[in-house]
Amino acid sequence: MSEEKKVRVLIAKPGLDGHDRGAKVLALGLKAEGMEVIYTGLRQIPEKIAQAAIQEGVDVVGLSCLSGAHNSLFPRVVEPLKEAGMEDILVIGGGIIPEEDIPFLKEKGISEIFGPGTSIKEIADYIRQNIKRR
Amino acid sequence: MDNKREEILKKREEWEERTLKPALKRFGLKESPTKFYTPVDVKEHNFLEKEGFPGQYPFTAGTYPTFPYQPAPRRGIHVAPGIVRAATYSGYGAPEDSRDYYKEMQLRGQRAGPNLAFDLPTQCGYDSDNPLVRGDVGKTGVAVDTLRDFEIIYEPFQGDLNLDRIATNWTINAPANIIIAMYAALAEKRGIPLNKLRATPQNDILKEYIARGTYILPPRPSMRMMRDSIVFLTKYMPGVNITSIGGYHIREAGATREQDLAYSMAILEAYLQEGVNAGLDVDSFAPRFSVNAFGGSMEFFKEIAFQRAARRMWAKILKEKFGAKNERSMLLRQSLMAAHMGYFNCTTRRPLNNLTRSVVGGIASALCGGPPRCYPPYDEALGLGWSLEASQLSEDGDRILQYEAKLTEVMDPLAGSYYIEALTDEIEEAAWKELEKIESMGGMVDAIEKGYVQREIAKSAHEYQQRVESGEELRVGVNCFVGESELEVTINRTVPHPYNPERRQEAEERQIAALAEVKRVRDNHAVAQLLRELKAKAKKVDENLIPHFIECNKAYVTGQEVCDVLREVFGEYGPVALV
Repeated sequence: MSEEKKVRVLIAKPGLDGHDRGAKVLALGLKAEGMEVIYTGLRQIPEKIAQAAIQEGVDVVGLSCLSGAHNSLFPRVVEPLKEAGMEDILVIGGGIIPEEDIPFLKEKGISEIFGPGTSIKEIADYIRQNIKRR
Repeated sequence: MDNKREEILKKREEWEERTLKPALKRFGLKESPTKFYTPVDVKEHNFLEKEGFPGQYPFTAGTYPTFPYQPAPRRGIHVAPGIVRAATYSGYGAPEDSRDYYKEMQLRGQRAGPNLAFDLPTQCGYDSDNPLVRGDVGKTGVAVDTLRDFEIIYEPFQGDLNLDRIATNWTINAPANIIIAMYAALAEKRGIPLNKLRATPQNDILKEYIARGTYILPPRPSMRMMRDSIVFLTKYMPGVNITSIGGYHIREAGATREQDLAYSMAILEAYLQEGVNAGLDVDSFAPRFSVNAFGGSMEFFKEIAFQRAARRMWAKILKEKFGAKNERSMLLRQSLMAAHMGYFNCTTRRPLNNLTRSVVGGIASALCGGPPRCYPPYDEALGLGWSLEASQLSEDGDRILQYEAKLTEVMDPLAGSYYIEALTDEIEEAAWKELEKIESMGGMVDAIEKGYVQREIAKSAHEYQQRVESGEELRVGVNCFVGESELEVTINRTVPHPYNPERRQEAEERQIAALAEVKRVRDNHAVAQLLRELKAKAKKVDENLIPHFIECNKAYVTGQEVCDVLREVFGEYGPVALV
């Protein structure tokens, strides 16, 4: 059996929100869990995040937003992935996401939301269990 | 004193052998889970030198000699006779949404000026109609594109609440001079002299590069803007604070306590130096430097010690490094609270525990020279904006601490505690060490350009998370005490939030339409001319741009139009890659 491919993750900050502690810590943490992680940095345009995800051939996209713009920004990452036939890329999100917004985001294709207090292990386990390999 | 020292040390050894060891054995402990401090643990504590009296150098005991404050009847600020303060942080949607909010607050008795939160496009120098910022308009605060927006927001502040009667705050950094100029333009339109205005712009760009992210230009041109702020405000608007710095954002981004203090002081030094380099006497502008807040944490005693160390360090830097003669230059003038629980400690699980946590922070604040401030309200982590229930309990917490527990009756009550004095010294020493590292790199601007500070903070954040993951760092209800026998206490917020969610939802559309109208109606030839002049002036390093910003604002030039010229001349900041 061939060597198992590492899970590839893109962590991104869509919009203008500059609070990236969670994104950075998660990126470093998932690396420590044996995944390959790319962190886009701040101020990413949602459609460009989708492009990068496709180009980099990632298995997971993690979106971080603490500015309240998640309902507008997160679906704009999922849409281009759908249009490109890349729905099997797992899209997850985190930041400050009020509970009442989670059903809407899930309906738009965000698989799960991981808010404050989530452990890195929790997210790593979720990824491993839910990833749809291509 | 030496004899006493030796005697105590000897007795300590005896105590450890005869009293402590047997107790540890009885409990099956290898090491004692507690420490105990004696006079020996405080290195050469000279009261007058290390502490002194509140309101006097070195200010360890307090910035002011007394605590005259009372919690204001509405909206969480502390007031005292003769002091004019802005209200609690607020702002959302399009300008009319915030205006109507202030109107409503005034009907409920609020008389303080607005403490404005801006949306991210405004903070980053973009206009509401820029397609790149779609989704962010009006979310984290109010959208401000032109002077028209300030005219609307400040509409409820006329007559006996006009601009010369209130104080107002702006959480604005990279475009701070444009916003300061906008308020000046508004005042001039209302016939109010600039020297009567009271305001605090945050205006602390260096922390944006390392913790908060709303930068525009690279660090060096941004320091030129700070020079403009210092010089212009000193000359024309002496009632306006020049900057509101502080390690709060830095600590929230993951920095340790010592890094918080060291980097805050390094930033202070960098800004002070700009004023000195501009030829100003430090005593002419340092008294209008202020502090927004430092970071906090649940480590109660360490946060109290931190605040004492911070005051002493600030005073020493002003006096010894910058040669300040006026004691007013050495005051660490901090805003509404001192020590606090650390907002990053707010949990989404069992959120009422955050109220308990905030009280711990409120007590720490009261005991270290601040007002008792149980902050933030317990639903901080659940979404943007606090419920009125949570705000009520937060304010009641302040009142209980002041009036029932009487925590404000004694200044610096922990002074002289062997533990607290030792801790204060320790934190200060560690901060000086880190500050010296920054200075050896050439100062904060250099350290930021090299990426040193950003890497250190990311490292600290990562290490903290590892401690949480391993259980070394305990978070009640999050990584411990989460078993099946625990009750997941939920909350019920029934009073509607004062911000109208429908208005916030469609604020972006309204503001885009309003901006189009402003652009249609204004004199676009004048705008083009002003922007051409701005470009020429920006290229002259000695030119203070604030007067020109005032003219631009009066002609309804937009924030992005001004910032685009600056971007053209100075370039844009490209962050250091870290991961």
